[in-house]
Parts: sequence; structure tokens; C-alpha cells
Amino acid sequence: MMKRRKWWHSLGLYAVILFWSFIVIFPFYWLFTTSLKQPLHVARGPRYIPFVDFQPTTEHWQELFTGVQGDTTIRHFNNSVIAAIGSTILSVIVGAMAGYGLSRFQYYWRILGWRNDNIAYWIISQRFLPPALFVVPFLVIYSTFRLIDTHIGLILVYTMINIPFAVWIMRDFFDTLPVDMEESARVDGATRWQTFMKIVLPLSTPGLVSIAVFSFIFSWNEFLFSLMLTNFNAITLPVLIAGQNSTRGIQWWSISALTLVAAVPVIVISLLLQRFITRGLTAGAIKG
Amino acid sequence: MSETEIQVRKTGAAPSKGSREDTIMKRVFLSPAVVIILLFSIFPLIWSLGISFTDVQRGGSAAISAAQVENPDYNGFLGMGFEVTLRNYQRILEDSRLHTTARNTLFYVVAGITIQYVIGFGLAVVLNQEFRFRRIFRVLFLLPMMTTPVAAAYTGRMIFDQSLGPMADLFKHVSQFLGLATAIRVPWMTDPGVAPWTLVIVDSWQWIPFVTLIILAALQGMPEELYEAARVDGANGWQIFWKITFPILLPISVTVIMIRGLEIFKIIDVIVIMTGGGPGSSTESLTMYIKDTALQFGNFGYAAAISYVLLVLVIAFTTAILALSRRLVPQNRA
Repeated sequence: MMKRRKWWHSLGLYAVILFWSFIVIFPFYWLFTTSLKQPLHVARGPRYIPFVDFQPTTEHWQELFTGVQGDTTIRHFNNSVIAAIGSTILSVIVGAMAGYGLSRFQYYWRILGWRNDNIAYWIISQRFLPPALFVVPFLVIYSTFRLIDTHIGLILVYTMINIPFAVWIMRDFFDTLPVDMEESARVDGATRWQTFMKIVLPLSTPGLVSIAVFSFIFSWNEFLFSLMLTNFNAITLPVLIAGQNSTRGIQWWSISALTLVAAVPVIVISLLLQRFITRGLTAGAIKG
Repeated sequence: MSETEIQVRKTGAAPSKGSREDTIMKRVFLSPAVVIILLFSIFPLIWSLGISFTDVQRGGSAAISAAQVENPDYNGFLGMGFEVTLRNYQRILEDSRLHTTARNTLFYVVAGITIQYVIGFGLAVVLNQEFRFRRIFRVLFLLPMMTTPVAAAYTGRMIFDQSLGPMADLFKHVSQFLGLATAIRVPWMTDPGVAPWTLVIVDSWQWIPFVTLIILAALQGMPEELYEAARVDGANGWQIFWKITFPILLPISVTVIMIRGLEIFKIIDVIVIMTGGGPGSSTESLTMYIKDTALQFGNFGYAAAISYVLLVLVIAFTTAILALSRRLVPQNRA
């Protein structure tokens, strides 16, 4: 039911919306236009509009993908992809299994007196521990097992961090899934595992996509562990940007291009799969 | 279903193959997650607590090397190459840099939560109105949250640059417009009093959408009849908001505030990019100090000890929020 608003009410509403749209868009606009600026246009104070204030150039983008710089960019891009996809796959598998277990079976850990809810809370509570707590033990453990600066090392840490949320969302998801079909499959002689693989998982695509997106975005954006546990081979894009930021000083034009290379994949994925993100976050927060 | 079948089910002697399979399968499903958490979370935590009571350092402990001058056979606690000591915890009490970083972290949490909650809530109310292209704006307003934090920080650094950034330019033009003789110059990232606020602004730009998203979802779930009834009783918009909307959203607000607070406790990337912790230590966070202590100074024992300071602060924060929510939110609804 639409109530007619007073004109000043509408005016205020649109003013707020336009103002906030500007706040949201301007940084992206600035990042993008800076990547097209020549050094002179950065050094002589802010220039705003391409072709009016300054003549845009794509040379920093070309430079970013050719020659030595091109190798660096692509190598670190690949590092980010490997770390993110590796941990996403592991998190989805482990998260879906544990979520299913917690949704369909009764657990009782006698020593602690924990049941399903306690176990679920214990798992999600891991998500909120400050990662700084793990800095020292991981440095020590990883150097003992020679996992420093390896892809597998990063994949394992990120999986550890992604699992709690994945379990939480999947348990929630399986709770809403009716058990009838599973039961009839079981009556027909399917094992638990077959039921899970053939019946449950195909029905769970929305939930699985949701945890995959979260795991991917988190691993792609992660900074602290990548900084701690890599030093050359496995460095991911955020750490590369931070490094260039301190060594290359005011060469904003090329760092801006690099930053966009890091940011755009996540933005595109988020926009395409936005409803899964919304769904996962609201389910997680409102239930929790 | 026949009489005997029911009988069988009740006594629990039902298809035993299935139930035996299930007792195995239920372990199979949950074990990977539990094993990973035990191995990669609980075990490191305990190990780290142990390290915090030692003088473990990268490249060997200095105290051991000193003692070996007199006694070459000496190799610390049980011959493991380090000493067991309380020194790390003593140092916590005296370390003024630690106190500064702890204070900064708490400032980020309190200022960040306040700004993000107030503005995020306001935007959710705005987006809950009906207007043209509402769907587009709902997605647009989420964009900052979907950006890599490092990218947001880096863009912030360019925008707030004191001479080359558009913010400085804006202030210059405003000063000219007001007819001031000298332009107002805000030392966004170089003044110990201003720089923490600049960081909060950048972090808030990114995470206000999170608050908006959750509150908007909750607003959309509110029954329309409530408002109708209030309107029939003659309540105005302001009264409806404070008497109905806000109280109903209190529980979810507590959750949002807690999640944001816990996330801000982890803040590091924005600071590393924008100020590097400076000027001095005025913008350094605890996480950053822990990272430097471990990585730069190689002092694992002390880094482990101060990471437990961070944990204590996090637990105190969570407890305080939960206690507050228990007081604010009527028990029957929570």
C-alpha cells in the first residue's frame, strides 16, 4: 500500500539517496580515473574529468600486463586464484558434510556434555577469534613443516577460517530441507552417503553457492596470513599491493590499475551472486 | 503399517543395518570439520599459550646465548633451547606502545560501531521506503562491502592525501567560498589526533552496507499490521519509529553491533596501507603490533603474550555487549 508522501519528504529522500550514491561511487571513480592518469596529472593536484581535465592514457594498464611487471602481476593473480579456489573447494566439502551431520543426526559428546547446538556454537565461535592469536603458532608450525610460502599452506589456513561460517550456513540450510525424499531413497536401499551425494547435494545448490562465494571472497581478500606466511612465491594480490604501496610511493597510476585487478573479480562475482550473499548473511546474522 | 511392525520400531530393534551404518556415518560427516578445527585452531591456541610463557625467539633466545658463555652445556628449559619465564606478562604492564595500540583498537571499535550503526540504520530506513529504481540503489549501496579492503584503503589514501587528494581540494574550495584568507588544511593522515578518525571513516565507508543489509532485511520482515494499528491510534512517524520499529530491531541490532565489533578488533590492512601505524604509534592496532613483534622483531614469546591481551579484550567486549543486550531486550522476546 503506497501512502502519498509530502513533497518535502520526497525531496529529502531523494537528496539522501543521491548524496549517498555519490559517496559510494566516487572512490571507485577516483580509483579508475587515477589508473588512466599520467604522472603529471597526479602530481599537479586533483584532476577530475577525463578528456576535460586531463588526457587519459592506457599505458599503465599495458605496462601492468607486459614485460617483467606483467609476469609479476599474472603470477600473483594466479596465487590469489589458487589460494581462493583451493580453500573454497575444501571449505564447501567439509562445511556441507558437517552441516548435514549436525542437521540430521543426534550427537552427544559425553566428556563435555555437548549436543548438536553446543557443537554448532563451538564451531561458529572459532570464526570470531582474532586471527592475530594464530600469528605466532602458525609461524612456528609452518616453518617446522616447511609450509611457509606455499600455496597449500595458505589454502589450509583459509579453510580453517572459512569452515565455521560454512558449517553454520549449511546446517541452517539443511534444516529447511524436507527429509521425505531422503527417507524414500533410504527405503529404496540407498546408503546414507549415496543419499547425501545424489539427493541432498543437488537440492542444496543455493546453500552451496552461498558458502562458496563467502569462502572465495574471504580468501581472496585476506591480508594478515598472506603477509605472515608468504614471502615470495605464494604472495597474493592484497599483499603485493601493500608492498608496492610502500616501495613505489606516489606512483598512484600503476598501483591504481593493480588495485583494480585485485578488486574487480570480487565485485563482479558479488554482483552476479548478490542474492546468495544477502541470503547467507541475513540467515547467519538473524538466526545467530 | 502392521501391529508387529510398530512393536518392532518401539523396542528399537528396527532395521539394524541402517542404524549401525548411521552410527558410523554421523562420525564421517562431522569429523573432518572437527579435526580441522582441533588441528588448526585449538592446538595452535594451546601451543601459543605455552609459547607466551617462554622466551622463544627467531634465531634462538638471547638469554640462552648469554648463559652459554658461562656454561656451554646449558640449553634452557629441559634442554629445549628456551627458558620458561613470566617476563612477557610483566612487560605487558610496562609496555607503553602496547597500551597505545590497545587504546587505538578500542577507539576503532567504539567509533566504528557508532558511526556504522547509526548511518547504516538510517540508510536501511531510507531504502525501506518506496521510490523509483529502489532495487538498483539497494545493490549499489552494497558495493563498498564487496570491495577488497586493501583496495578501499588504497583509494582512501589517495582521496585523503593532503596536497593531491580531492578532499584537500574540496576544503580549499570551501575556504575560498567562505572568503577565508588561508585555506583550511586538514592533516588527514599525519596528525595523531585526526589520523585515527580518517581510518574509521574508510573502514565505515566499507562496512556501513553490512549494517544496512541486515537491518533492511529485518525491516522487511516486520508485519505491516503493527504500523496500521499504531497509525489508527494516531501515532506519528517519529513515535512509530521509537516506540515500535526500534525496540523490535533491538535484538538484531545487538547481533550486528557484536559482529562489527568483533571484526573491527581484527583491523590491520586499512592501517598498513593508509598510515603504516603512524604518525608514531598513533594509529597502530593491536593486531598490527602483534604482527610487527612476531615478524619484524622475531619475538615470538612476547607476540604470543600480547595476542592473549587481544583475546581478553575481545572476550570482555562480547561479555559487555551480551550483558547490555540482556538488560535492554525484554527476556521474553530474546
